[in-house]
Amino acid sequence: MRSIIKKTLICAGLMAAAISTSSQAGKTLDAVLEDKMLVVGTNSDYRPNAFLGDRNELEGFDIDVSREVAKRLGVDVKFVTPGWEVMTAGRWQGRWHMVVGSMTPTTKRAEVLDFPATYYFIPAGVAVHKNSSAKSIADLNGKVFGVVSTSTYHRYLEHNLKIDAVGTPPFEYQIKPQEIRLYGDINEFDDLSLGEGVRLDAVIQSVSVINQAVSKGLPVKMLGDPVFYEPLAIAIDKGDAEFGEKVHAIIEDMKSDGTLVGLSRKWHGVDYVTVK
Amino acid sequence: MKTSIFTTSFQRGKPRLKAALVFGAIAFVIAFAAAVNTGIVGELLRPAMSEAVLVGLWGRFAVALVVGILCFGGCYGLLGLPHRVQSWSVWAGLALSALLLFYSFDLSYEFIERKLPFLLTQGAFTTIYVSAISIVLAFTFAMLGATAKLSGIAILEGVGAFYTSYFRGVPLLVQLFLIYLGLPQIGLVIDPVPAAIAALSLVYGAYMTEIFRSGIQSIPRGQWEAADALGLQRMVTFKKVILPQAMRVIVPPTGNQFISMLKDSSLVSVVGVWDIMFIARTQGRADFKILEMLITASIIYWLLSVVLEMVQHRIEAHYSKSVAR
Repeated sequence: MRSIIKKTLICAGLMAAAISTSSQAGKTLDAVLEDKMLVVGTNSDYRPNAFLGDRNELEGFDIDVSREVAKRLGVDVKFVTPGWEVMTAGRWQGRWHMVVGSMTPTTKRAEVLDFPATYYFIPAGVAVHKNSSAKSIADLNGKVFGVVSTSTYHRYLEHNLKIDAVGTPPFEYQIKPQEIRLYGDINEFDDLSLGEGVRLDAVIQSVSVINQAVSKGLPVKMLGDPVFYEPLAIAIDKGDAEFGEKVHAIIEDMKSDGTLVGLSRKWHGVDYVTVK
Repeated sequence: MKTSIFTTSFQRGKPRLKAALVFGAIAFVIAFAAAVNTGIVGELLRPAMSEAVLVGLWGRFAVALVVGILCFGGCYGLLGLPHRVQSWSVWAGLALSALLLFYSFDLSYEFIERKLPFLLTQGAFTTIYVSAISIVLAFTFAMLGATAKLSGIAILEGVGAFYTSYFRGVPLLVQLFLIYLGLPQIGLVIDPVPAAIAALSLVYGAYMTEIFRSGIQSIPRGQWEAADALGLQRMVTFKKVILPQAMRVIVPPTGNQFISMLKDSSLVSVVGVWDIMFIARTQGRADFKILEMLITASIIYWLLSVVLEMVQHRIEAHYSKSVAR
């Protein structure tokens, strides 16, 4: 019996040795400059930041920012859309070099990703059905809220939102929801459109998305003032400080020469870059 | 002539009347239970009765009765038609009502028309080639898996048993994420499309291994023994005697698996493969018209599975030649 166990263990050991391979730690910046190609991970369904336009190609604020960064690096740009959970999980293994996906640098995310440059701030607002009886945000205490799962809006409703970017305006938790419904693929706005309290009483989203929904003819409206401002940053994988500094310098240049403000006006209609 | 449960054709005389009555009664019970008097069907009876009567129990009974009688009449008429015409017209009728249901959603057709080319050229194209490669690979894995499990060689049996147990036991979505996110940790960085194909073919190969194994085992031992007696080698027996007979049992559930895989390929959109589902979801979300895109996607998937169904039917007919009368 013992000899069988011994043999099995030896076999297993040999196999494990054969399977394990060395993982390489490559410099992101070197890879980008060598291939003359910056691969950017981004969203595909996040109007007006990154979405499929009428030509079935990605367009939006994040896309234009990425193109500009690539231009200033002197390389071409390519976009991939790996899905939010995959991008926020880190450990990209060089599949893409950075994520320009309107990502908020929360403390948790900073454990697996680096956020070298904050490129704009966006207000988060509360949307309700256009026939809603709520007059102010305070009326929504004890109601049912819909938010994108693991988003900052989700954390906000849980009273557990920690953002550690410099220059983030302070905020208070104004809402105590009765229930938080989480959304992934299905648009929370579709459920809100069904009517007040049918599935949802309110939704928290970025003000620019709410404005888009209104302009696309959905029966929703924004209620009151924004509940918090969140910084949105470019994310890179851990372990290449040089690349981070380069990206940081480029974004700072784009801020000071007005490029970013121009892009924000183009896509959001207002200047979300300058801190108020 | 294929075998069926009933020997009568219900096409004329008393059986026809009886069958139509049963269908009518079923329609009556369903209509009564679902209280259709308050819906669109009730509106049709509005001229005959007042609002108060219509919503009451009597109205509910009357509306259900009308539905039952209409169904009885329709079925009685249909039953008189030739067998083929009957089943096809029922199929077409049900398909039409499904489309009418979608039509009643008040969708933006202009939007669908604008986005349809992308769904077809990029979405359907990606779905088809991912599924096609996965189908070929899954078939190969299943053949190898079943051969291993039935080989009588303990090492191969162990490999086969582990393969089916693990890949059948873990959800496809989890598997997909494990392959896409897990393999890079040991230095194997693969793109979304190969990851999707690997996950689909490994998981469906595992299901089909079991189908192949049970199909092969369903052939009586006497066939093996007879081949032995004729002096055929075991591998030749397997290939020329057992497998052709087993295929008749294997093909229907395998066709099922292929249709199922075609639809499950929609899961690959989560790792960013631009298949039908991905385009539908993203285009729908961008313009807040998700329902339009989902219904369009559902119809495309449906049409694709109809094609697979027809292929399955052909193959089934081919391998059933030996039992045809």
